[in-house]
Amino acid sequence: MSSRTARRAGGGAQLVAAIVLVASVVGAQSQTIEEKASSCGACHGEAGIPQDKTKPMIWGQQEGYLYLQLRDFKRGTRKNDEMSPIAAALEREDMLALAAYFAQKPWPSLEQARAPAEVAKRALVAIGSVGCTGCHLGEFQGDGSVPRLAGQSREYLAKTIADFRTRERGNNPGMSDLMNATSEDDLAAIVEYLAGR
Amino acid sequence: MARSGIGSPIAGALALAIAVATMGSASSQEVKSAVKYGDMTTVSQDLLNRAESDGNNFLLTNGDYWQRRYYPNTQINTANVARLHPAWIFQTEVKESLETSPIIVDGVMYVTTSFSHVYALNARTGEEIWHYKHKLGPVTTFCCGPNNRGVAAYGDMVYLATLDSKLVALDAKTGNVMWQTDLADPELGYSETMAPTAVNGKILIGTNGGEYGIRGFLRAYDAKTGKLLWNFNTIPDNSVGVWAEKDATGRDMHRDIAAEKAQLAKSGDPFKTLGGGVWQNPAVDLETNRIYFVVGNPSPDLDGSVRPGDNLYTDSLVSLDLNTGQYVCHFQYIAHDIWDLDAVSPAIITTVAGKDGKPIKGVIHAGKTGHVYVHDAKDCSLIRFSEAMVPQENMWTLPTKDGARMLPGANGGVEWSPMATNPVLGLAYAINLHQPMTYHVANAPYPQGKLWLGGAFKVIPTEEQWGNVTAVDYNTGKIRWQVKTPQPMIGGVLATAGGLVFTGEGNGQFKAYDADTGSILWKFQAGAGVNAPPSSYTVDGKQYIVVGAGGNVQLDYKRGDAIIAFTVD
Ligand code: HEC
Ligand code: HEC
Repeated sequence: MSSRTARRAGGGAQLVAAIVLVASVVGAQSQTIEEKASSCGACHGEAGIPQDKTKPMIWGQQEGYLYLQLRDFKRGTRKNDEMSPIAAALEREDMLALAAYFAQKPWPSLEQARAPAEVAKRALVAIGSVGCTGCHLGEFQGDGSVPRLAGQSREYLAKTIADFRTRERGNNPGMSDLMNATSEDDLAAIVEYLAGR
Repeated sequence: MARSGIGSPIAGALALAIAVATMGSASSQEVKSAVKYGDMTTVSQDLLNRAESDGNNFLLTNGDYWQRRYYPNTQINTANVARLHPAWIFQTEVKESLETSPIIVDGVMYVTTSFSHVYALNARTGEEIWHYKHKLGPVTTFCCGPNNRGVAAYGDMVYLATLDSKLVALDAKTGNVMWQTDLADPELGYSETMAPTAVNGKILIGTNGGEYGIRGFLRAYDAKTGKLLWNFNTIPDNSVGVWAEKDATGRDMHRDIAAEKAQLAKSGDPFKTLGGGVWQNPAVDLETNRIYFVVGNPSPDLDGSVRPGDNLYTDSLVSLDLNTGQYVCHFQYIAHDIWDLDAVSPAIITTVAGKDGKPIKGVIHAGKTGHVYVHDAKDCSLIRFSEAMVPQENMWTLPTKDGARMLPGANGGVEWSPMATNPVLGLAYAINLHQPMTYHVANAPYPQGKLWLGGAFKVIPTEEQWGNVTAVDYNTGKIRWQVKTPQPMIGGVLATAGGLVFTGEGNGQFKAYDADTGSILWKFQAGAGVNAPPSSYTVDGKQYIVVGAGGNVQLDYKRGDAIIAFTVD
C-alpha cells in the first residue's frame, strides 16, 4: 500500500524522503514483492503453470480470492501441509500485495481438452440446478472474492471439490454444502467441463 | 436472499483495483465527461414530495415516496402503445446483469450497471454525459451477482451504494466524488446492490449479506457530509420473539420449539450473526414521518438448528421513525425461516380497504411465498393476503439432508422485483417465478464472513419452469388477471395512467399489458434479458418509457449492456 499511496501523491523531495523511510522500515523485515513472489514459483510454476497438477494455478486468479485464501491458510480454516506454513509467515499487507501481484499476471493456458458433448451437457444441467454461475459468473471467470474456475487444473479442481465435500477444506461451508448437494458423477462432469473451458 | 457474470474487460479493470479508496479520493476514480445537456435542476425536497404527480421526471427508484410505480402521464396509452418504438439505445461498457431503475431529472438520466458504474445520459438522445467507474476493493462479497439497482438524486448530487460496501456522493453535473464513506466490512460479508433513498437531508441505505452471517441494518446518513445520523439493527439484541408456530397465512411451520429452546439455553441469542439484509428501498410516509421496509432471510439460510427463536426481524415488514430510526412496528411473515422464502420486494404505501372495508392507509408487499400481503400502516398488522399467485406444494416441509421438494422454490413467488400499482383500479401488479426446487440442510458453524447457507436449494432439472404477471386486487385479495410467461420472471413492473403495465422477460421480450384486462398490447425483442424495472419520463413534451436490457445472473438470462428508451411518435 505504501508505495501506491506515495505514487498517487506525486513527486517532490518530501515524498522521496518518505519513500526512503518506508522502504527502510519494510526492508528491515522483508524483501520486495518480486522477491517474495519468486518463492511461490517453486510450486505454483515459474511461468504460472505448476508442475504438480494437483496444485492450483494462481496467476491471473481473482485478487480478492487470492488474498482470502492466504488469510484463511494463516487462520487455519483452510489447511495444507505445504501452503499453511508459508501463509503463516505472511502479514496482511504481504497477502494483499501478493494477491495484487499474481492477479495482474496473465492466466496461463493448460491446454486441457474440451469436455465431450455429453459430459458438457450433464455438467450444464447440474450447474443450472445449483446456479454456480450466479456467483462464479457467466464464463466462470469469477470476480473479487469469487475464484475463476475456467481452465483451472483438472486434477486440482477434482481435489479441492473432494476436500469441500469432506469439509477437509473448511474455509467456505457454503461451497461445501453446494458440493454435497451435487452428486459425485455430476461433479466429475463439472470438473471436465470447467477444466476444458 | 435475493439471489442474482462477467465480461473480461471488467475482469481486467478489477484486477487493477487497489485495496482502499476513502474520503476525498476523487482523483483516483475514473470519470469521463462529454457533452452536457439540460440544466440539471437541483432536486429539491419539494420536487421529491410531488413526484407522484410529476409527469416529466422520474425522481425516485419506485416512482414516488410511496413506491407506487404509477407514472401520471397519459401520452403513451392503450390507444397508441402499438406504435411504441425505440427512440435511442445506449450501450454501457458492462455486459452483465442490469437491475437499474433509471432516474430522470430534467432531461438527464442516471443509470447504473453491475460492478457499481454510474452513467449520466442525455434523456432525449441517449448520449453519454459522464461515466463514473467505482474502483472496487479486492474483496467483494455478494450472493447473487455484482448487481446495482440505481442511484438516488438529491440536491446537486447523486448517491450510489457500491458492491464493496461504500456510500458515494457524486456531483450530478460531473460525476466527481464529493464524499465517500465506508458502510461495513466486505470481509465480513457485507455488500451493497440497492439504490439509496434521499429524503429530508438524509440518505437511507440498507445492506446485503444474509448469506454470510452479517447483522443487517438500515441507516440514515447526512446527504451533505456523509456523516451517520442513525442506525437501526434489523436484528434486535433480543431476536427470540414469541415462538410463532404458524406463518402469516396460518399454516404450520413444523418448528421443534422444544429443541430450539434447548439450543437457546445452550448457545444464547444468535443475534450477532443472524443476517437480515435489506434489499430494497423503504417506502416513506411524510405525513407520519415513518418509513416501511422489508427485511430478508436469517443466516444461515436453511439450517435453523444454530439460530433458535423467531429470528426477529428477518422475513418481516418493519416501520421506523424517519427522524430517529426508532422502531415503530413490525409484522413477521415467516418466523424462523429455513427456506429462504424471505421478504425482498419493496413495500408500497397506498390506500386500501381496511378490515371493515373502509379506506385506510395501507402497506403492501409481495412475498417469495407468492402472496401479496396487505397491512394497516398504523400498526403493521395484517389485513389480508392475496390468493397464491403460483403453485404452493408441501408447505412447510422441513429441508432434509438429501433434499425435500417444496413449492415455491427459494427464488419465489416474487423475488426482489418491485410491484407497480394502479390506485384507480385498486390493483397491484406482481411478477412471479415458478421454479420447483429441493431444499437441503447441512450444519456448519459461523464461518466469519464466508458463505453460510446451512444447506442448498436445487432446481429440479426435470420439472417445467415458468413465470407469470399477476394483477391482484389489494382491496379483496383476489387475483384479477394473470398472464403466464415462458420463463420465471425477475426485474420489475411499471404502471402508467395511460392504462398500461410494462414488464420484461428473460428471453428479451419487453411487453405492455392492458392494466385492466392483462391483454398484451405491444411487445419488443430487446436481444438480451429485460430484467430491470422500467421508468417513464417526458422531455420537450414527449413521453418515453425506458428500461435496461442486460439479462440476469441469478437465472442465467442472456446478458447484454443496453438501456433502451421508447416513444410513440
Ligand atoms: C511448497 C509448495 C508451495 C509453495 C512454495 C507455495 N504454495 Fe501455494 N499452494 C500449495 C498447495 C499444495 C496448494 C493447494 C492446497 C490445497 O489443495 O488446499 C496451494 C494453494 C495456494 C492458494 C489457493 C489457490 C486456490 O485456487 O485456492 C494460494 C492463493 C496460494 N497457494 C498462494 C501461494 C503464494 C502467494 C505463495 C508464495 C508466497 C505460495 N502459494 C507458495 C503449495 C505451495
Ligand atoms: C453462492 C455463491 C456460490 C455458488 C452458487 C457456487 N460457488 Fe463455488 N465458490 C464460491 C466462493 C465464494 C468460493 C471461494 C471459496 C473460499 O472463499 O474459499 C468458491 C470456490 C469454488 C471452488 C474452489 C476454486 C479454487 O480455486 O479452489 C470451486 C471448484 C467451486 N467454487 C465450484 C463451484 C461449482 C461447481 C458450483 C456449482 C455446483 C459452485 N462453485 C457454486 C461461491 C459460490
